[in-house]
Amino acid sequence: MDWGEKYRPMHLQDIVGNTTVIRQMAAWAKDWTRQSRPLLLYGKPGIGKTSSAYALARDMGWEAIELNASDQRTAAVIERVAGAGSTTASLTGASRKLIILDEADNLQGTADRGGARAILECIKESRQPMILIANDLYGIPPEIRARCDPLQFRAITAHSIVPRLKSICASEQIACEDTAIRQIADSAEGDMRSAVNMLFASSVGREHLGDSQVQTARKDERISIFTLISALAVRKGDEDLLRLSRELDDTPETIEQWIEGNLTLIVPPENIRGAYRHLSRADEYLGYTYRRQYHTLWRYATALMLLGVADESGGRGIHARIMPPARWQKMAGAKRQKAIRSSVLARVAGMMHIPSATLHREYLSTITLLVESDPAGFAGELMLDADQLNFFLSDRSKSQSVIQRVTKAAKEREKEKEAFEKKEKAEKARVRRAAESPQKKDNLPDINEIALTKEAPDTDPSEKKPPAKSQSTLFDGF
Amino acid sequence: MEENNTIWIEKYRPVRLGDIVGQDEIVERLMSYVRMKTLPHLLFTGTAGVGKTTAAVALAREIFGDSWQMNFRELNASDERGIDVVRNQIKQFARTTPLGEATFKILFLDEADALTPDAQAALRRTMESYAQTCRFILSCNYSSKIIDPIQSRCAIYRFRPLLPEAIAEEIRRIARREDLTVGPDALDAITYIAQGDMRKAINALQGAAILSRRIDGSMVYAITSTARPEEIEELLNLALSGDFDGAEALLSRLMHERGIAPNELINQCYRALLRRDMDRKLKVRLIDHLGEADFRLSEGADSDIQMEALLARFVLSVERGA
Repeated sequence: MDWGEKYRPMHLQDIVGNTTVIRQMAAWAKDWTRQSRPLLLYGKPGIGKTSSAYALARDMGWEAIELNASDQRTAAVIERVAGAGSTTASLTGASRKLIILDEADNLQGTADRGGARAILECIKESRQPMILIANDLYGIPPEIRARCDPLQFRAITAHSIVPRLKSICASEQIACEDTAIRQIADSAEGDMRSAVNMLFASSVGREHLGDSQVQTARKDERISIFTLISALAVRKGDEDLLRLSRELDDTPETIEQWIEGNLTLIVPPENIRGAYRHLSRADEYLGYTYRRQYHTLWRYATALMLLGVADESGGRGIHARIMPPARWQKMAGAKRQKAIRSSVLARVAGMMHIPSATLHREYLSTITLLVESDPAGFAGELMLDADQLNFFLSDRSKSQSVIQRVTKAAKEREKEKEAFEKKEKAEKARVRRAAESPQKKDNLPDINEIALTKEAPDTDPSEKKPPAKSQSTLFDGF
Repeated sequence: MEENNTIWIEKYRPVRLGDIVGQDEIVERLMSYVRMKTLPHLLFTGTAGVGKTTAAVALAREIFGDSWQMNFRELNASDERGIDVVRNQIKQFARTTPLGEATFKILFLDEADALTPDAQAALRRTMESYAQTCRFILSCNYSSKIIDPIQSRCAIYRFRPLLPEAIAEEIRRIARREDLTVGPDALDAITYIAQGDMRKAINALQGAAILSRRIDGSMVYAITSTARPEEIEELLNLALSGDFDGAEALLSRLMHERGIAPNELINQCYRALLRRDMDRKLKVRLIDHLGEADFRLSEGADSDIQMEALLARFVLSVERGA
């Protein structure tokens, strides 16, 4: 059996790292009521998000129902599977069902048509605890995000990965050198699953694992790109440089960006201009390659950027730390800003019935003034979160406090409304029971009561669901 | 009769892991998976013709024995690359129980980097949900085109381009079995043409074998429409010494009498230039000229004019550099 699955942590206490988040999850589950908001776990791959969700279900004695991107997630499917889980009581004896919506940031356009809306409905209607999981917080539609409590999972330190790997070695009876374990832990880059997989791949069929036998093919790119960058600044043969670039598992444009990011280290100031000329020419070839889908041109890009820059370096070596291209960090930040901006614009544009480009060009300053004059009102109206409100206010702390106030008020309103509806419903049911069958017992379980009201839609026009669904949803999906 | 018609690439595709040449470390690991009858998900990366598919098929044969065809399925992602493939075909195969004595099945997904990111996302949980019944072997040219969550689920094996010795070893083996005489210059020619790609090497050998059972270098170059490395050297020497007329005459012979395609000439010039010991500044400029000519040809420009202009630029570059 695959060790990734074999050694998947069973209980919350077995999860390595992210202790605070795990505590928050446990507390959420313990105090869970129907008013609780779903959790939204997000973070890099392989750091325990899905495992934690399952471990939580197991620790609480809840049944877990999972829906992930490998299932088709149209509105109908989500409603059938999760909907049944979320509105009806469990029949298998478990007190509750935990609905796990994995890869919530991967709802696909047409194949998952209506999926986002269905998730939203699910969250609103759910009478069961629900956890959403995603890699990218901003890949989640904002209206869903606004209804969840986000918890961020962070990468696991190599230091914490080591003991886990050692304990696996012990159960598998493999003598593993400390240096080998360390090497695996380091090259996993915070990804626990990847570390376990590497250990598995390297040690199957062995009783002893030395560091020369470690199969860390995964992420040695980082090591090699450093080798390539430093090779550019020492006197190295042309063919050697090209061989290094071929052995790297990176595309030429990645290499190009690394070179550009470190150009001041590789090339003396007086030669920067010349180096950029080569890079820019190489870049043209990359452009041709993609534009024309003629991949032979790649090699000219690679040769020009490597040999050209190596020539300008004068072979003086590198005497500072080689860093990933600075623009990657900027891009990551810019991407987030862009996601926030377009989500806000789309929201307002929809409300005003004008295209978002027009809105951006012509009306943005007016709207910004309006929002500044009544931030809470607009945030409530447009269902903005703190980041989105900050787009208008450019004042982080103010945006956050406004949003806190707005959500608090909204929660209270919802509570009142629910209490009122419940009261009204109970009242109606009582009246009807009294009228239809005076001999029926008074203490019917809650669940039947709901089914009953659904079956008689004409007596309760506020009920949205079609009557045919009510009885069957109780049982399908099992 | 039928034997003679088979394509040697298939006929001599190694059946056992141990027969794969030039990837010893990888083969050693794969063999221990066979011994233990266990397998992680695998990701094979590497250029064409280095043994990725061969390794996957051989692995399946050895793990499953006679029932290998029932428990092994190959899908080429570049044929069908949408999310529906993952949700229908792949899931269908993955969730059914293995046949015979096998405890799991293997799904080999060739050219997995052609899958759209959406489809890759759909694949990730499938890999885990059905890990009990199905292992995945993905193959691709660049692992950087495979999304991180999938890389995180796989053991990654990087297949390197084959060294000339490895190619020569395999070519000699096939020559023995086919009863061919392959001279040392023919072996050099084959490894030169193959550039680390075993498929190209075997193809060149089979082509030359049609001409004669005694194969020499010139047959290999002729059948593959390639110029001899010496001819390319001469072409460069002429152009770089400023003899445009001499270079032009040789070019015309290669293109018109020998029928060598302009792209192939550019390709060979590129390889020769890289290897050439010369001023780096000039070399970079010449490679740029090659690229420009290659690009213009790909855009449909006239090959005679562009190739002659290329030689002219070479001559000019040297004059300006001096």
